[in-house]
Amino acid sequence: MADDKRKNTRNDVVLIFDTLFSVSQSSVSSSQSLFFASFYLVLLAMEALVVDAGSKLLKAGAAVPDQSPAMIIPSQMKRMVDDDGPSTVSEDVTLDPIERGFIRDWDAMEDLLRYVVYTGLGWEEGSEGNILFTDPLSTPKAIREQLVQLMFETFNVSGFYASEQAVLSLYAVGRISGCTLDIGHGKIDIAPVLEGAVQHIASKRFELGGTELTKLLAQELGKSNPSTNLSMSDVEKLKEQYANCADDEIAYEKTQNCEIEQHTLPDGQVISIGRERYSVGEALFQPSILGLEEHGIVEQLVRIISTVSSENHRQLLENTVLCGGTTSMTGFETRFQKEASLCSSAIRPTLVKPPEYMQEDVGLYSAWVGGAILAKVVFPQNQHVTKADYDETGPSVVHRKCF
Amino acid sequence: MSWQTYVDDHLMCDLGDEQRLTAAAIIGQDGSVWAQSANFPQLKPEEIEGINKDFTEPGTLAPTGLFINGAKYMVIQGEPNAVIRGKKGAGGVTIKKTTQALVFGIYEDPVTPGQCNMVVERLGDYLIESGL
Repeated sequence: MADDKRKNTRNDVVLIFDTLFSVSQSSVSSSQSLFFASFYLVLLAMEALVVDAGSKLLKAGAAVPDQSPAMIIPSQMKRMVDDDGPSTVSEDVTLDPIERGFIRDWDAMEDLLRYVVYTGLGWEEGSEGNILFTDPLSTPKAIREQLVQLMFETFNVSGFYASEQAVLSLYAVGRISGCTLDIGHGKIDIAPVLEGAVQHIASKRFELGGTELTKLLAQELGKSNPSTNLSMSDVEKLKEQYANCADDEIAYEKTQNCEIEQHTLPDGQVISIGRERYSVGEALFQPSILGLEEHGIVEQLVRIISTVSSENHRQLLENTVLCGGTTSMTGFETRFQKEASLCSSAIRPTLVKPPEYMQEDVGLYSAWVGGAILAKVVFPQNQHVTKADYDETGPSVVHRKCF
Repeated sequence: MSWQTYVDDHLMCDLGDEQRLTAAAIIGQDGSVWAQSANFPQLKPEEIEGINKDFTEPGTLAPTGLFINGAKYMVIQGEPNAVIRGKKGAGGVTIKKTTQALVFGIYEDPVTPGQCNMVVERLGDYLIESGL
């Protein structure tokens, strides 16, 4: 029934657009188009919002699974402090409300969400709808509860749901079981998921991510270009542009004599980038470059899968999903496949290809896309936390209803 | 209030649309059944032992699975020393630990895990408050 209702709303929207286009061809009065526009906005308000807050980028949008999120904004915020005195010094303090995937600074988070929800996505105060959040692995209970509290008490939403990013990334590629390897800015999560349930005992989280790679690149560039001053945001951009993965370990050794490229920074300085860009990619497969005593990610993945009961091994290995910003590095996937084939033949991870109707870069937003898909299922079927549930049971209701 | 009334009226209550849990029970931590619904499966002593152990040391049941009268449930996220949740296909089980007992709720499609959790855990919290 609910599905029919949705289909009817869809048809209505299409009809409106048709009328709008045909009418606009024969000069339409501005009030009429305003009426149609506001009608469309009202319909838009019935869609749930999906918010995937990461350490670097916040992805948010209405729950439309076959599109990219409407808003992709950096999570980093600046607090402007203006002096009222004679000297007009304004200090900019950069804040990261989200560190390593978890929300740390609640005031900043509130401001950020306020901007996203009201200004960015067009909600109106007084008619907030349903919202779905994504959590990283092993989110402490207190953080989840505080988020629910913030949503219901400050933002007054009518419905809330939270789900783990690993599960959502799998939904985005059309699976309910598999292993996700999420390499984000603040953390790396490796999580085996069986039928929509994360195996927490087996999953592992590393406090290592894009931030460490940027620092590594900055260090290396500092060594080879001692006279230039590099700010972290410049290095970040350089990393996105130049970072590469060598084909395998031997090829990495050979990059000692690789070609050096010249790059002009925005402030005019010229730096040369040579082997450093391969180090960035290599660090994921050989963490000793970063000074960590860990195994490379492929081996970690295999170990984790082997701790799950053996009847599920095959399912997990055949459905391995790479997601997160850092996996979009050139050559990463090929290198991953190669390392995987070097593993003992019984346990060899195979990567999943996203379905063709999905966007090109679904790997970057897979958690958000999965959230959009889940939102379409959870909210119409009333499996989410409603305002009534929250009022009755308090914030701990999120542990009971969302998982 | 007899234990049976707790099971019949509070655990096997109408969740809306004439839906109910499939089976429910309140079982002492020593294995003795305080009350159960008509079709609640018979728990074996080693299964009760396994459940008790998983409450005190979370993670012991996950590798092998949770068994209830031989039926295997896959252990999913619970709460240490408070709740064990298991999944079997579209249905599953929620077990809430109170001071002296274990409250069981078994559900099938179309009842959702969230609904089962709410019912079982709410009764469990009430019993904990009453010292049971």
